[in-house]
Amino acid sequence: MNGLLHVAVRSAWNRRGTLALVVLSIALATALLLGLERLRSDIRSSFSQAVSGTDLIVGARTGPVQLMLYAVFRVGGATHNISMDSVRAVAAHRAVSWVVPISLGDSHRGHPVLGTTPEYFTRFAYGDRQPLVVSQGRAFSGTLDGLYEAVLGAEVAQALGYGLGQRITLSHGLGDVKGELAAEHADKPFTVVGVLARTGTPVDRTVHVSLQAIEAIHLDWVGGAPLPASAGLKIAPEHARKFDLEPKQVTAALVGLKNRVAVFNVQRFVADYEPEPLLAVLPGVALDELWTAVGLGERALMAMSGLVALVSLASLVAVVLAGLNERRRELAVLRAVGAGPRHVLVLLATEGALVTGLGALLGAAAAALAVVLAGPWVQERFGIALQATAPTGEQWGLFGAVLLAGMLASLVPGLRAYRLSLADGLSPRT
Amino acid sequence: MLEIRDLQFSWPGASADSGRLAIGRLSLAAGRTAFLYGPSGCGKSTLLGLMAGVLVAQSGSVSLLGQDWAALRGGLRDARRADHVGVIFQQFNLLPYLSVLDNVLLPCRFSPARARRCTGGPVAAAQGLLQQVGLPHTLWARPAAALSVGQQQRVAAARALIGAPELVIADEPTSALDNALRDEFMTLLLGQCRAAGSTLVFVSHDERLAVRFDERLSLPALNRVQGLVA
Repeated sequence: MNGLLHVAVRSAWNRRGTLALVVLSIALATALLLGLERLRSDIRSSFSQAVSGTDLIVGARTGPVQLMLYAVFRVGGATHNISMDSVRAVAAHRAVSWVVPISLGDSHRGHPVLGTTPEYFTRFAYGDRQPLVVSQGRAFSGTLDGLYEAVLGAEVAQALGYGLGQRITLSHGLGDVKGELAAEHADKPFTVVGVLARTGTPVDRTVHVSLQAIEAIHLDWVGGAPLPASAGLKIAPEHARKFDLEPKQVTAALVGLKNRVAVFNVQRFVADYEPEPLLAVLPGVALDELWTAVGLGERALMAMSGLVALVSLASLVAVVLAGLNERRRELAVLRAVGAGPRHVLVLLATEGALVTGLGALLGAAAAALAVVLAGPWVQERFGIALQATAPTGEQWGLFGAVLLAGMLASLVPGLRAYRLSLADGLSPRT
Repeated sequence: MLEIRDLQFSWPGASADSGRLAIGRLSLAAGRTAFLYGPSGCGKSTLLGLMAGVLVAQSGSVSLLGQDWAALRGGLRDARRADHVGVIFQQFNLLPYLSVLDNVLLPCRFSPARARRCTGGPVAAAQGLLQQVGLPHTLWARPAAALSVGQQQRVAAARALIGAPELVIADEPTSALDNALRDEFMTLLLGQCRAAGSTLVFVSHDERLAVRFDERLSLPALNRVQGLVA
């Protein structure tokens, strides 16, 4: 048996050119499988790290997933706002520690604008309860003097090349519409007073202003459009401060509890709130639900890379089978010196296993290398933190599956050679 | 040593009169050399396959050293062949990617018994045989593919003879050689078989070689002829 392994290795080495191509294709397939699995699990963890430390998110009554989508991921819009009275009622609940209202609906060059209170910067957390960090400047003051102050997420600052003191104007709505249709709040420009450190969450893409500022820029607006100049009702930025800028409505509110045990009590309280139909979701639960929804695409990707693996294993079988006819002499020699058909089977299966094993190892190394090399870029570009850590259970599973499938696939040419050498006897009959 | 009785063999799908062998009786004593001849396609290679236990007769018996091949299961047949039979083909005898020395050592890898019978160990025995077949030692570490056809056949002879198997089977080993090389090879093979005490069954359609053997067997005459004792 030892001798057979020696012969298998030497024989494979003799055909190293062809086999190297097969090794390469298996390596690529393995790298694809493992890389995608790494991407999937890290996207998932990035996803679930988008919000933490917030016990409930309260919004108008819609689906929990939709509420999460617009309140946390800034995707889509709210169908209804909630009144500040409701927010105050929730804040008054004895189990509630803090409430941070948020107001969405405007944008700056495609980046969503979030109206909130200064408390947002201390209360909001992501990942493993990591707080937001202001890397340059400061948070907006929330006072009337600082009415037109804005704090940028890291990605907004980087993508648009903004620094402190930059003057920006907000657009009404979420689109990046230009020209005639653009509804600009051009009369009330903002000044950037702070930039947040990168978080890898939607916060990076967000422009933060105070709730009062959101009120101020909409003072002379009716029904989503500025009042025409003919109405003679233009309110200058400094004039706006004289109006009552306390918001009447907000989009949603982040809620922190004194004790998490009360979370279902408060959720029930919100759901049963009489004056207005409200919804409170637990971020973790809603994120899971959301993941199930987007998981379909992810499964399609995995299925695709599974097919790639299948194709490269098929090419392994094809290459070994195609070479088999030329190797009938070799097999006859082995038969003559005492190898049985079973030895021949073992020889070919060993070769297949060696090729698959080498390919899978190379692929795993390539995937790990890609994560290390491309990790910073992916973090920068997509806000996904790729972790160059030990393989996950799923990755081990995929690795094992490739190996096993490769060995099973090698049995196909092995069995063919077995039957050939039984039929050939000492001299190949062609 | 080698006994054939009432042998019946046909390849799967063979027609009535071709691809069939029927031999009533054939026996060879130990240490004898036999020349087996006949036209192409008369079943010479098939008979060698039966003698080596690679093929198994449908009926009758082919026994080596008193053991009927058909009575052994596949794995045991392979092990027994490795122990007792050396084979030389017409050409393509060697694994091209192994060195000359490793090719000669191949039977010892599959048969511990052959390895044990090598005096001074398999490697020493292989080197001794290579020397006796006249292969310069500068070639021993070269891959077999680098050798000329004549040299390859001599390596094949050394491999067939390593560990002194009781039976050596040669299937037209000289047909790819020119006259001078052929005579040299014949002398060498016959001499080595005598030295090792191995029985030799040598197949060829070149009847000029027949005079050098103890026995001459015409396969067309043997086939389907009852009671012939060679």
